[in-house]
Amino acid sequence: MEPAARDTVRFDEETYLRLNPDVRLAVAAGIFRSGLEHFQRYGGPEGRLLARPERLAPDRVVFTAPPGVRRGTLKPPACAIDMVKFSPAGGVFLHGWVDDELDRLESVDLYLPNWLAAFDGASLARLRRPDVEEAMGCRHAYGFFGFLFAARGLTGGACSVVLRMKSGAEAHVLLAAEPVGDEALRELALGCIAGAQFPGNPYFDSVAAIAPMIGGQLVKFNNLLSRRAVSAPYVERFGARGRYRASLIVCLYGRPEYVFLQAAMFSAQAGIGDYEFIYVVNSFWIAEMVLKEARRAARIYGLDITVMVPAGNAGFGAANNAGAEHAASDRLLIVNPDVFPRTDGWVAAHDAVVAQRPEGEARMFGAPLYYDDGSLMHAGMYFELDRMPELAGGAVGGAGLLRVEHYGKGAPPETAALLRRRRVPAVTGAFMSTSRPWFESLGGFAQDYIFGHYEDADLCLRSLAAGCPVWLHDLRLWHLEGKGGVRAPQHEGAAVVNRWLFTESWKETVQNGLLGPVPGREEFRP
Amino acid sequence: MKVLLVSLYHPELVRGGAQTVAYELFRGLRELPEIEPVLLASADQTTPALFKSGARITGFDGRENEFLFLAQEYDHGWEKSGSALLAEAFEDFLRLIAPDVVHFHHFMTFGIDFLTLARRVLPAARIVFTAHEFLTICAADGHMLRRHEKALCGKASPVRCHQCLPERPPEQFFLREMWMKRHLQAVDAVTVPSRFMIRLLADWGLAGPKLTHVTNALAMPPAKPAPARARRNRFGFFGQLVDVKGLQILLRAVSLLRAEGFLDFRLEINGGNLNFASEECRGEIEAFLAEEQKRPAAKRLVQFNGGYHQDQLPALMARIDWCVVPSLWWEAFCLVLSEAWHCGRPAIATDAGGLAERVTDGKDGLLFPRGDERALAETMKRACTEAGLWDSLAAGIKEPARREEMAQGYLRVYRGGKADAKRRKESATFCEQKVAKKL
Repeated sequence: MEPAARDTVRFDEETYLRLNPDVRLAVAAGIFRSGLEHFQRYGGPEGRLLARPERLAPDRVVFTAPPGVRRGTLKPPACAIDMVKFSPAGGVFLHGWVDDELDRLESVDLYLPNWLAAFDGASLARLRRPDVEEAMGCRHAYGFFGFLFAARGLTGGACSVVLRMKSGAEAHVLLAAEPVGDEALRELALGCIAGAQFPGNPYFDSVAAIAPMIGGQLVKFNNLLSRRAVSAPYVERFGARGRYRASLIVCLYGRPEYVFLQAAMFSAQAGIGDYEFIYVVNSFWIAEMVLKEARRAARIYGLDITVMVPAGNAGFGAANNAGAEHAASDRLLIVNPDVFPRTDGWVAAHDAVVAQRPEGEARMFGAPLYYDDGSLMHAGMYFELDRMPELAGGAVGGAGLLRVEHYGKGAPPETAALLRRRRVPAVTGAFMSTSRPWFESLGGFAQDYIFGHYEDADLCLRSLAAGCPVWLHDLRLWHLEGKGGVRAPQHEGAAVVNRWLFTESWKETVQNGLLGPVPGREEFRP
Repeated sequence: MKVLLVSLYHPELVRGGAQTVAYELFRGLRELPEIEPVLLASADQTTPALFKSGARITGFDGRENEFLFLAQEYDHGWEKSGSALLAEAFEDFLRLIAPDVVHFHHFMTFGIDFLTLARRVLPAARIVFTAHEFLTICAADGHMLRRHEKALCGKASPVRCHQCLPERPPEQFFLREMWMKRHLQAVDAVTVPSRFMIRLLADWGLAGPKLTHVTNALAMPPAKPAPARARRNRFGFFGQLVDVKGLQILLRAVSLLRAEGFLDFRLEINGGNLNFASEECRGEIEAFLAEEQKRPAAKRLVQFNGGYHQDQLPALMARIDWCVVPSLWWEAFCLVLSEAWHCGRPAIATDAGGLAERVTDGKDGLLFPRGDERALAETMKRACTEAGLWDSLAAGIKEPARREEMAQGYLRVYRGGKADAKRRKESATFCEQKVAKKL
């Protein structure tokens, strides 16, 4: 007799349902007409119990399914999708939560009329959701978000979202994918990183959350927006146009008053007539005011000023690179808007460094910068590596994150050891003087960093890698650090991505003799 | 010598000390045969009917050499205009008038950066700036009065200024100081109406040789001599009813005297602009006056007369014996004091700043500690009761400086010296020289 026929003969509906409670539930739910139907279609091949075994070992768990087999009706996870948004340039942002405390999230698939996307569960950023935790009565990183860059235009419509769990269980949500502008989507994704409540130390966890996928995708997406923003900027010139001894390039964000403040302070310097000013406006809403102030400054101070307005926030790197392209000199001064000369004769002193110091000392250099309270805020930069204790191993380990530190932050203003002319691992982009040919040979600032941060250290490390370490010369300036622009949540999110990117790019180099205030490499030893 | 006087408002449009003095100087200079004065006074949206479409500088009411600067887009935070057109109009006006001297009686409504603009456009001109208060140093209305502790301020700093205006970060005051000093570099001379201001400005960092004292002065209508009276118990307050003028202190002193049963005196209040007082101060003054109105006429000690024109001064002064000046700030000069003295009325004044410099306690007036209503009440009681005091103090009053004296004082500043001309030449920046060459 065939087993199925034999089992059928011995089949008892009530016994089968009692021994297989998941089948009873499925029958009750109408998925099967009867236990017999289930047995015939699935239970027989699975080897389900038809009757109580005659001998059961006492006080022991007896496995009735083969190893690795997980029987029972798959339970869809509790979940919600808060939003699926996409942008014209191809950014896709997903935000939601899922109860995967026991059954881990395998993937989230989006199905739209013209495209689909699959987010790997391990690549999604996970975060805590106090609202869900309260409802579930359990602490767990229920929340998630993801970001993908399709690099081509997307269309919207009904979006079917399928959350697949490790067990094979699935949940399905239908919603409308909402279109938003590219910059708005960038702001949304970065703001989400900034506002996320990560399970552990946010400094490390935020980077860990974006490292598998989101960070790289955001960098590519942002790079496109930056290139697009500076591809055809509005440019207006005030004053005369000629050849200059140097070009000050200033990237503005949100604070137009620094145009007239810098014009006033720099114009008091003898020799400034041989310098031009190039303002690159990364916040379009101040563009009209900047243009007006530039026009006034040309009148009042007799300065030659170019104002460039990109078609969006290009970020520090792309904005300065665009400014450099418009420069009418072979010496570029990258200057933050809140930087001002601290001494009379500053321009002459700068000219003297460029003209009289050996070429290697003048190719790229920075200067001591001072806080408004009189203390030093920068005398070069060095690198540190932060490591998160690896709790499982009981030791300090993990990937580690690079941190950029300033020499002399808060030091007395006349600390000779900090002010002396010397090579340094890096200098801040708040003030950087560079030979234009050298700057261009390095490819200018990296445009991968979002909005701004680390481009200066990145450029200095590339200069070092190309054989020319940067120098610090005693050309003192004021710098009201952090007061030259306005900070929004997306800037905090960008800082996380940039920290990850800088670490990915330079950790190995820094660990090879550039770590700490006294780096191992010979050229930086006192 | 052609002198361009740049004035905050025209005094016939908006009343105020700085514009009154600027206009008096304009009239004084006009009487000097070798001087051709030109007045450029600002107007703003307080007088919108005077604005003409597309115009930025116009004449004023058909008067010779009087012009209106139609101010717009003024930023009180940085003390500058945001209008490029106004800067261009001012530059064109300077070229057109081509003055030998540009004398700024204020920078408000024009912008502190117009000092630098004037220097760039007229490299050889002498540029003079008169400080009528401390607005270059102090962003809190230039009063140098610590708002949170109501003390006089002797030194500005980023943190101290932030304490007064906490909505602005310390760095902004650091920048403001650099900004102000940058533009004062363009000036050949800074004049102040009281000598004590020199110390504060020099401590702030303004070069000592630039600082000069030139008194303020007014041409006043003839005063009536004070008739002999048995009792000298009539007090008067003249001026703006704003916090720093201290009327509230005077009213508190009246309440103290009333409370102790001393009722043999009267106070007349003359002035306006109560709407510019703080809510707290306005409330206190209004509540006092309302309470006073409720009293039977015979029991009222205080009478409020409202605003006044200068022509009314002799009549108003004739109704009082003492002029009370309870100012809470430094009081750069105090024209009211000049007016009282012109009318032969001794003052009871705060012992600080310009008042302390001008009033000699016990000789031509009485001083009391700033903001101390009890001390003021005692001083008023003494003024009413001490026999011969008023006569002695009135006899000690010297006639205040006349307009001609002020004009001559400024003329000396305008003429400067050879050393000034040399310094001016040397201080021109590379940029300014380059621009001058282009022009």
